[in-house]
Amino acid sequence: MNASGIPLKEPSVSAAAADAEQVERALIDASTRVPVLMFYASAMAWLIIGTLLAGFVSFKLHTPDLFSDISFLTWGRVRPAHMNVMVYGWASMAGIGTAIWLMARLCRTVLRYPLLLVAGAGFWNLGVLLGVGGILLGDSTGYQWLEFPHYAAIILFVAYTLIASWAVLMFRFRRGEQIYITQWYLLGAFLWFPWLYAAGQLMLFVVPVQGVLQSAVGWWYANNLLFLWFGAIGLGTAYYMIPKVIGRPVYSYHLATIGFWTYALFSSWTGMQRLVDGPFPAWMVTASIAATILTIIPVATVGLNHHMTMQGYFPLLRYSPTLRFTVFGAISYTVFSVVGVLISLRSVARYVNFTQASIAYSHLGLYAFFTMVIFGSMYYIVPRLVGREWRYASLIKLHFWASVYGIGLMTLMLLAGGFLQGENMENPSLAFSETTETVLPYLRGRSLAGILLTASHFIFAYHFGLMLFGLGRTSTVPTFLNPVEAEGPETHL
Amino acid sequence: MNEETAKSASPIGQGMDYGEQADVQQVHAAVQREKREPRVGAEPLSIWLIAVYGLAVFFGGAYLGRYSGNFSGDALDPYGGEPQAMKKAAGPQGEQQQAELSPRDRGKKIFAANCQTCHQANGLGVAGQYPPLAGSEFTTGGSRRPAMIVLKGLQGPVTVKGQKFGTAVMQPWDKTLTDQKIADVLTYERSEWGNSASPVTAEQVAALRKELANHPESFGEHDILAVPDEDLPGGAPAGAAPPKPGEAAKPGESPKPQG
Repeated sequence: MNASGIPLKEPSVSAAAADAEQVERALIDASTRVPVLMFYASAMAWLIIGTLLAGFVSFKLHTPDLFSDISFLTWGRVRPAHMNVMVYGWASMAGIGTAIWLMARLCRTVLRYPLLLVAGAGFWNLGVLLGVGGILLGDSTGYQWLEFPHYAAIILFVAYTLIASWAVLMFRFRRGEQIYITQWYLLGAFLWFPWLYAAGQLMLFVVPVQGVLQSAVGWWYANNLLFLWFGAIGLGTAYYMIPKVIGRPVYSYHLATIGFWTYALFSSWTGMQRLVDGPFPAWMVTASIAATILTIIPVATVGLNHHMTMQGYFPLLRYSPTLRFTVFGAISYTVFSVVGVLISLRSVARYVNFTQASIAYSHLGLYAFFTMVIFGSMYYIVPRLVGREWRYASLIKLHFWASVYGIGLMTLMLLAGGFLQGENMENPSLAFSETTETVLPYLRGRSLAGILLTASHFIFAYHFGLMLFGLGRTSTVPTFLNPVEAEGPETHL
Repeated sequence: MNEETAKSASPIGQGMDYGEQADVQQVHAAVQREKREPRVGAEPLSIWLIAVYGLAVFFGGAYLGRYSGNFSGDALDPYGGEPQAMKKAAGPQGEQQQAELSPRDRGKKIFAANCQTCHQANGLGVAGQYPPLAGSEFTTGGSRRPAMIVLKGLQGPVTVKGQKFGTAVMQPWDKTLTDQKIADVLTYERSEWGNSASPVTAEQVAALRKELANHPESFGEHDILAVPDEDLPGGAPAGAAPPKPGEAAKPGESPKPQG
């Protein structure tokens, strides 16, 4: 027993079985090393690029003259470049990296067809590179999160097909009778992404729908990429990491089933709630709002399942970096969803639609939830791939707190600024320029948050670089955030 | 529940030939210390959670019904109902919608936009400053006098309903309002607030406008009193009642006399 009173040692598994399992895991980890690290390293590079672009975008909102005479550094190009680097470069690549490792572990088989993944990573990087270059040179298509020009979109799709076929093949070769919850979500994500991406591309560019329907398709795509692609990978990862680190079964299979299927059912109806008061038949927008309200069901279910799994183990957040990041992300998922329901209701959307508040919403989903969960998984997976432990507990702590304060401040600033902006825009006696000026202090606050996040990302990138070049600690003890008393190396974190 | 899987893990399948690799036993410490792959418990559903589901379904369904706009493809308004009426009103041509407003209704809008500031929505004006229109002998008499006043404005002292006014100046409207608009607003003024004088047509105003073309400045009270208190030529017979509110009449067409 350690100070927290939680049994840190697994009681019931016989020594021989445990040994066999360990060897199996070690082999699986070794087989995933190259592809996963390739995805992670690319993702980290894109994260740094995206962060720099983000800082630039944020400063341009309150200091518009910044480099305004250089065409590829204008607002209309840098902002989509930032979003697409973060969505496809960072979040998708890091998410796929984690998903590959989880698939291999949970299918309990060494990674097969690694060439598919290596080629996929190469094509994906090429696609993002060409796409971002195209956007900066003025080739953007103008639809949110689909700004990549066609030539880049096709390459991205090819890369995706390679990765998804790998996932299906791996699933085909799985061992063991049970299919764990995480696999549902990952397989779902791998099948939903092509549906979303192909539908978006087809309906907007190949056989474009008419008129205002294009923005309906655009928002459906953007919102569902958040829910069905990032959301599914993020939830799947949390479903693995939380029980894995604390060594306790997930609370309830029934809750997991309900949470998964209602999530799949209701999420795909959302998106149009971002268009309240737009020129759309009322039922389209209302159907999306009603579906958003119904997403409370999976959110409450999954939230309760994670909470009950964690119950009694919360003191472990003091030690495990993985657990701390993952639990923060899982809590943010609930916050993100509740905020999503609130700002979609017509009475609220009237004020916050088309204001900074929707930026806050996207960041809650993509950063506070998804990115934090992925950070957590990287803290768990990378040591197993490079055979070294994270070098500095202090850097992990700094990374965590800079991220938490950064994203917290950013969300608060953008939400408050968004509400104020929306209220002022409803006021007919205020000129439009005045309504934007009232938001300026909040935008400056957001830039401050951006500086915190930039610091956090540079710290993490440095730490990750150390690990990649074999400069981590050689130790049998994982890097805890705070020293663990008594138990020593047998604490299974 | 995972005891079976733990046992079946011992004979590891093809591709898992760890016997060949000596270094495999030097598994990384992270793998050695880590806990088993996650399992799933089977706790039952809480009754409270089912209540939350019920609430969400109820609220979502109620919201859908309330703001569905009757699930009509043309209904932009979430409350439904109104868009059907608007659809009829809009019709194939926008001009028809204009036509369905009676001259009196159009006049009411013009009055609200131009006249109401001084003469007030109730037509009573402001004592000592702006003369009333309700029951005024100028407004309710022949249409010539009020038309002159609206076209060219009025300044200097004036007595209306026995009360003296004259501190304020009424501006001329001939540059601002078209014949049609002046006719409409006169029709409105002469039939509102208990007034019941004959309507005025655009042709009548146009004729008067020509007549007054050489009169550059505003009228005074004596100019108005100098002309006979008569209707402008070309309108409905004197004393005819205005059309009832809501009765449609096409612009430019003489309203039918009643009774």
